[in-house]
Amino acid sequence: MKSVLASVAVLFILTSPLSAQWTKDTSRNIPRTRDGKPNLSAPVPKAPDGKPDLSGVWFHDIDPNGKPDGVEQMVFSQYFVNVAADMKMEEVPFQPWAKELFFERLKSDGRASPGTHCKPSGITVLNSVPVPHKIVQTPQLILILYEENTVFRQIFLDGHQPAKDAEPRYMGYSTGKWVGDTLVVETVGFNDKGWLDAMGHPHSDALRLTERIRRRDFGHLDIETIINDPKAYTKPITYTQKTTLMAEDDLLEYFCSDNEKDVQHFK
Amino acid sequence: MRDRVLILLLAIGLFLSAGLPLLAHHAFSATFDSKKPIKLTGTVTRIEWQNPHAWFYMDVKEANGSPTNWGMELGSPNLLIRAGWSRNSLKIGDGVSIEGFRAKDGTPTGNAQVVILTATGQRLFGASSAAPATR
Repeated sequence: MKSVLASVAVLFILTSPLSAQWTKDTSRNIPRTRDGKPNLSAPVPKAPDGKPDLSGVWFHDIDPNGKPDGVEQMVFSQYFVNVAADMKMEEVPFQPWAKELFFERLKSDGRASPGTHCKPSGITVLNSVPVPHKIVQTPQLILILYEENTVFRQIFLDGHQPAKDAEPRYMGYSTGKWVGDTLVVETVGFNDKGWLDAMGHPHSDALRLTERIRRRDFGHLDIETIINDPKAYTKPITYTQKTTLMAEDDLLEYFCSDNEKDVQHFK
Repeated sequence: MRDRVLILLLAIGLFLSAGLPLLAHHAFSATFDSKKPIKLTGTVTRIEWQNPHAWFYMDVKEANGSPTNWGMELGSPNLLIRAGWSRNSLKIGDGVSIEGFRAKDGTPTGNAQVVILTATGQRLFGASSAAPATR
């Protein structure tokens, strides 16, 4: 019975119009199918400068083989759970300390994860967590607004670079350039406090994150992610998070510290 | 010996990776016990429609007639809104029945997977697809 209810819940979540506090905006000038619904298969829109326009509210695609999980009865992205989901556990190219820390985190049910304590979740989690993000594109600067904890991210395309002694940060410092129709974003300057996913894959301050972002069509955008962190992993870890446009919806406010009550019940 | 430990850990890891119970905000199993399902009926006394999780509190009558106030965790308000709830879906004074799981720490705390309004039989959250929350 429970599994039936969970299935119904997930089906509803996935097929609902995702309307929210912002009224569903059906007046947007977007390509539509004959029945008036957003045409997610329409061609990629172009920005005034001729580049693909990545702007929009995007929601990660879930694991096609996933099962309903947790009180929210959702199917998560496999990469939210595990950035190394595409490889076998024994193939993950851990450095010894990273492997030890990873299993320690697993055994502790993730009690120390940054997100649990309302700290910044980091880019790989934010790109896959079941909370949408919004891309705002200009020729010189691309902003990503993450609903999760109301976090912003700046990607400079104008040559702006972080200082050589830049303070290590949770989100690092992002710069980008267009390579054909793909936006290639390089992020450096991370601190070592982040988790790459819910399972607890660690990273070090040597992390260099590459995201190759490509809008496949009007309604679909892929983020090929390359985790290059030689202090923590002997080889890069690569995966592609697919996302789908929430064509008529918008972001909501989200502050984790507003009402965090779980930590007091940890046992 | 070290190899044996490693294999054991790998097995744990594989098990967890296959079935890691998750919420978007924290691991379910850090707070709640999936082996302790609960079904409760009572009256809503307080509602907190705030992130990262909405909570509501309900008085549940014990066998001796005295009430115990239970705290029930839901998903995030943002998720609930997108799943059809509004902040008026549940009101103080509503009679409700819940199905969920109890907190590991033994306090009268749980998380609700299903919330049913006593007055109407309306099933909130999961089955709200069949009867959208319209209050």
